[in-house]
Amino acid sequence: MATVVVGAGLSGLAAALRLAEAGERVTLLTKGIGGLPLSAGTVDVLGYAGDERVTRPYEALVTLAAAAPDHPYALLGRDAVEAAVAWLQAQVPELLAGQPGVNVTLPTAVGALRPTCLYPPSMAAGADLAGKAVAIVGPRQLKDFYPALCAANLARTPGGPAAAVGHSLDLPARPGEADASGLAYARSLDDPECRARFVAAVAAVVGDAEVVGLPAVLGYKDLNAWRAIQEGLGKPVFEITLIPPSVPGLRLNDALTALAKAAGVRIVLGSKVTGYTAEGGKVTSVTLHQAGHNQPWPADHVVYAPGGFESGALRVDSYGHVKETLFDLPVAAMGSGTVATERVLRATATGPDTMAPEGSAATGPDTTPAPAQPLLTGDFWQDQALFKLGVRVDAALRPIDESGRPVFTNLYATGSLLAGAIRWSEKSGEGIALGSAWAAAEVILGR
Amino acid sequence: MRQLSADVVVIGGGTTGVGVVRDVAMRGYKAILLDRADLAQGTSGRFHGLLHSGGRYVVTDPLSGTECAEENAILGHIQAGAIERTGGLFFTLPGDPDPDWGDKFLAGAATAKVPVEEIEPSRALKLEPRMNPTAERVFRVEDGSVDGWQLAWSAAASAKQYGAQILTYTKATEITTAGGRVTGVRATDAKTGEDVTIDCGFVLNCAGPWAGGVAAMAGCEPVAVVPGRGIMIAADRFTNVVLNLCVKPADGDIIVPCHGVSIIGTTDVKADDPDHLPIPADEVQKMLDAGEKLAPGFRQQRLLHVWTGARPLIKDDRVAASDTRHMSRGMAVVDHSTRDGLKGLLTIGGGKLTTYRLMAEHIVDAMEDQTGDHHPCRTAEEPCPGHEPGRYFALNHRLKEREADRLSDQIICECELMSRTMFTDLLKEQPNATLDDLRRQLRLGMGPCQGGFCSSRAAGLAFEEGAIDIERATGLLRLFLTNRWYGLWPVLNGQQVAQAALDDWILQGLLDIGHLPAQTKEVI
Amino acid sequence: MFEPTSHEANLLARASVDQCVKCTICETQCPVMAVTPLFAGPKFVGPQAERFRHGESVDHTLDYCSSCGTCTLVCPQGVKIAELNSVARAAMKRDHMPPRDRLISRTTLMGQAMRPIAPLANAALRAAPVRVLAEKIAGIHRDAAMPVSSGQPFHAWWAKHQPAPTAGPAGTVIFFHGCAGDYFEVATSIQAVEVLERLGFNVLVPKQGCCGMALQSNGLYDTARAWVRRLVADLEKAPQDLVIVSTAGSCQGMLKHEAREIMGVEDESLQAIGTRTRDICEFLLEKIEAGQLNFGVKRLDVTVTYHAPCQLKGQGMGQPAVELLRLIPGVTVVESGATCCGIAGTYGFKKEKYEIAKAVGQPLFDKVKEVNPKLALCDTETCRWQIRQHTGAQVEHPIYLLHKALGLS
Repeated sequence: MATVVVGAGLSGLAAALRLAEAGERVTLLTKGIGGLPLSAGTVDVLGYAGDERVTRPYEALVTLAAAAPDHPYALLGRDAVEAAVAWLQAQVPELLAGQPGVNVTLPTAVGALRPTCLYPPSMAAGADLAGKAVAIVGPRQLKDFYPALCAANLARTPGGPAAAVGHSLDLPARPGEADASGLAYARSLDDPECRARFVAAVAAVVGDAEVVGLPAVLGYKDLNAWRAIQEGLGKPVFEITLIPPSVPGLRLNDALTALAKAAGVRIVLGSKVTGYTAEGGKVTSVTLHQAGHNQPWPADHVVYAPGGFESGALRVDSYGHVKETLFDLPVAAMGSGTVATERVLRATATGPDTMAPEGSAATGPDTTPAPAQPLLTGDFWQDQALFKLGVRVDAALRPIDESGRPVFTNLYATGSLLAGAIRWSEKSGEGIALGSAWAAAEVILGR
Repeated sequence: MRQLSADVVVIGGGTTGVGVVRDVAMRGYKAILLDRADLAQGTSGRFHGLLHSGGRYVVTDPLSGTECAEENAILGHIQAGAIERTGGLFFTLPGDPDPDWGDKFLAGAATAKVPVEEIEPSRALKLEPRMNPTAERVFRVEDGSVDGWQLAWSAAASAKQYGAQILTYTKATEITTAGGRVTGVRATDAKTGEDVTIDCGFVLNCAGPWAGGVAAMAGCEPVAVVPGRGIMIAADRFTNVVLNLCVKPADGDIIVPCHGVSIIGTTDVKADDPDHLPIPADEVQKMLDAGEKLAPGFRQQRLLHVWTGARPLIKDDRVAASDTRHMSRGMAVVDHSTRDGLKGLLTIGGGKLTTYRLMAEHIVDAMEDQTGDHHPCRTAEEPCPGHEPGRYFALNHRLKEREADRLSDQIICECELMSRTMFTDLLKEQPNATLDDLRRQLRLGMGPCQGGFCSSRAAGLAFEEGAIDIERATGLLRLFLTNRWYGLWPVLNGQQVAQAALDDWILQGLLDIGHLPAQTKEVI
Repeated sequence: MFEPTSHEANLLARASVDQCVKCTICETQCPVMAVTPLFAGPKFVGPQAERFRHGESVDHTLDYCSSCGTCTLVCPQGVKIAELNSVARAAMKRDHMPPRDRLISRTTLMGQAMRPIAPLANAALRAAPVRVLAEKIAGIHRDAAMPVSSGQPFHAWWAKHQPAPTAGPAGTVIFFHGCAGDYFEVATSIQAVEVLERLGFNVLVPKQGCCGMALQSNGLYDTARAWVRRLVADLEKAPQDLVIVSTAGSCQGMLKHEAREIMGVEDESLQAIGTRTRDICEFLLEKIEAGQLNFGVKRLDVTVTYHAPCQLKGQGMGQPAVELLRLIPGVTVVESGATCCGIAGTYGFKKEKYEIAKAVGQPLFDKVKEVNPKLALCDTETCRWQIRQHTGAQVEHPIYLLHKALGLS
């Protein structure tokens, strides 16, 4: 008997690796590759508290936890998050630089400054642009990066560089390819010859710039490719994460998957967990829908890290009911502190002024205020309360029902399944994923 | 201040207005079209995409049925590239309110000369496996689907060839008159704020649901236009033939496959203001129920978008009796010389997109009745630029095109297979366009991801290749996402929630667009 | 006439199109995209293009898809990407199937034709002028890995075989070897029977034909459907409550899911057979872990690369061979870490794909050469041929090591 981890995102991988390291027998079941290739390859702990940009995430999460008792951080506490983040950094030092507990801001592909805590060493120079002359350079054949846009927004950002100029290069990843993915570039830049051509092309345009920003495609398997490029250029370079699939996210995914395997985690990829059996308040096995038949996987403990709405673990049906899809766990509406098995989405949906000329919409939609806070609103720029929905857990990370009692005594929910945070908005995804994985592992290990 | 002159000013750039300016120009007049926004940005782009066979009206309104059948054929001649020949099915179900409707349908079709063939339900299910399998009687008709934006833009291109000027984002503010005659139009360029004055002898009011307000600009008694609001919901395409309930026209009686979506329509609720059309949750649910009736399983389809449009129904008891020859049922020409004593102003309303060309012909005929200077209408004969008779749109055209240029061009909007060149070419033609303006012609961001992946690319390209500053480029991105969400959130469910979450993850989490430098002025 | 674009045929795969959220994870793992820009990638030719095909595959680039199935495997949203591509390719080839695709799709025919004069046939297949001709006429690359026919097919060995005295106490199983296991990879089939009997199983081998896999992957659905139905009928002749244990890594996938998910074969018998089918390593590992087998093996000091074939990974059961072999003392199993060997059924045989297939497999070949240039393990036949061809190593089914460890060879 052993622990079964469901889900291969950061939370699932971290839980599996942590448990296997401690000598547990761990099987990780996942439908597909997890969310890391969709991430920035950074560890965000807490980037924003409301409209305020956070500089000291651990301190800020304590404040947040006090103000928002439904937030996952209120449950996890600073210590678990801090321990988990430090542990991860020690696992993959070649992929995560930075000082735990201190945020930096890194330029995004559209030129915003995004706060994060740990980041690939290849991004470090991007954290320190204030007052500098920066060149942003990328190949035209890479459709996910527009150096001019990135540079122009950076240049007008308070606290940003003194000057930023964008340059587009005509440099295919492979001969005869006009539309290459970031990964195609990263693979080509693993090759020293391609790298030399790339360096020459970049050097030709950067002029007097002190720092050079490049798309996050500077090598895939070769983790030192970016250093070679930096040396070639003779000035600091930094990578800028692109829209998914992101190469830094892939690198992190590959590294953690390899570590988990090396630690003895059995990974079963490609089948969906579609059911479970339970006895006496315990989950006894989960059912894997393999090709041809359903296979029960017996478990002493189940770490459930399937993701949230983005993965389909939480679903909304056409009537607006929200459900957790595998265990039918109670889905909590946050803010009320209560738990309900289903929740109606749009009690009072009124539409936007869709027939007005679309330009006028910039001032915001003219909607009638709803009496109760709806889960969705017509304003794209507001947080959608729907995405705060999720599973509520007790201090041992066990999903709880309306009365606050655990649904199963050996089922632990982690990661973005947890209720109470819009992770992409406050930039807390990795902190929650890691802190909850860590805490669940501690419980399983009896610590 | 711009000073222009023309014989005729057409107000309203929907399909009717564009059809009118084309007709006027082809008859030899110097014409200018004004729209306060973009072409076909209102009702003409907010329908279910149906090119009527006429079947829908054969019982209740056979004259309209005949007109639809005729115009359907004409559009196949002049604007085939905007039309997909999907075919359509009308079917009866057990428990329909009028059990004799099928017989009435056949009889009406014969009278109205609308081609209809009754077929076995089993054969119909082969044509469209998603049709409700409990159908009892099925009638095959020549319904198709049509892209309203392409109709408008290609008719506009034709009008331009005949010397017409098309001024979009130019809002008419006043129709000037002197001695009981129209003398001109004052307008404002919405993008630059510049005033535009046009001297003209005739104004044709084609403003659809806004026609009442336009007539009032000339000091006329407001024309009673009653906007009939209807919602449409697009599911990722799962049908290939138009499905109609064979009943008296009702809410939610049709699903039209159009481009990559299947669109269910629609409701009909009186609206007070065409600028503010809600999408009530109960109407969404009603449409989903209707979808289940037309194509069981509809609720499980992936819903991509919802929109609402307003039918421009004219209920004006002051329409002169002499106008009735222009009034086939459903469309009305109001002659303000007899109604308000003002010469040089005509208002048109009602009708449907399928008959837009015929409506244009009617109002221009009415204008020539007033001027006494008659020219033949040739709009039915000459194909619009870029169209060849009988060369219809097919869903796989873009796939073929990308197959050809895949190694030499980039695909910016992957869901809709829009290439970089398509985008930059149109941007060169319309450097002031918003991403939504470009979207309507290119389908940017209209597929399953609803802009999650392509919006930042489009903004980047617009900045890199276009003649706009960073404030506007960033504003365009914001505006595009704002507008996509309008049509998304009222129907958000199922797998589209996963998409919306991923889109937020990308846009907020990775790009942090919410913290880009603040916008200081409105983007239009 | 089976219509590959018919509603029934692609209902399952088509329905999954709507699951795509464009995350593009599939493309990061596609082994063909990694080596050539000629293939537009699984997302493009899969869920994206499918929205526009309308039953007509105008995008010929999809022929560069090798059908390895990696995209389906890694998709977090459950899109049947590879299945969509297979159906679309079948639609594309409806009217102009190259004769080459027909020839190499008929595994049994090749085996039967070659067997009676095996040495001669093998020589002929390896002889350069013949291969040049085959390339010119049939489009089969002159250097492509070709199967080596055994002198005696497995069914002839089985006809004379007497059960080992150890057989029986653990119960009875049906052995499924596939046609390659009958004509080409005969030793594997024999080893499997001997291993099963040593571990206490009574083995039944009903007469069995071809599953139609190669026909399916080349878009010849009509025949493939008939063949898989015939195979199901064959297997049904054995007692219907027994587990079917297989060494045919890809053919078992056809029974388990592909016939249904790709070719739309909705058939209760097929489903029943699929439900009872287990990969031999999967089967043994489960029995051992449940403590149901007396697993007495001797030490084998060997380090060996194991490559999990795409078709096996696609069955979503993890890598039971790795777990199983790690139970043998002294055995160090190094996972290849490679996505695909490149052959992907018959893909790598084709002259326009040969170089692509070789490039796809290169990381694997390098790994084999680095870890143990003499011996490597892989569960499917054509992959073994491909790895042999490009490394010169002896490449065996994982059961080969177990056979040794049990003292059977």
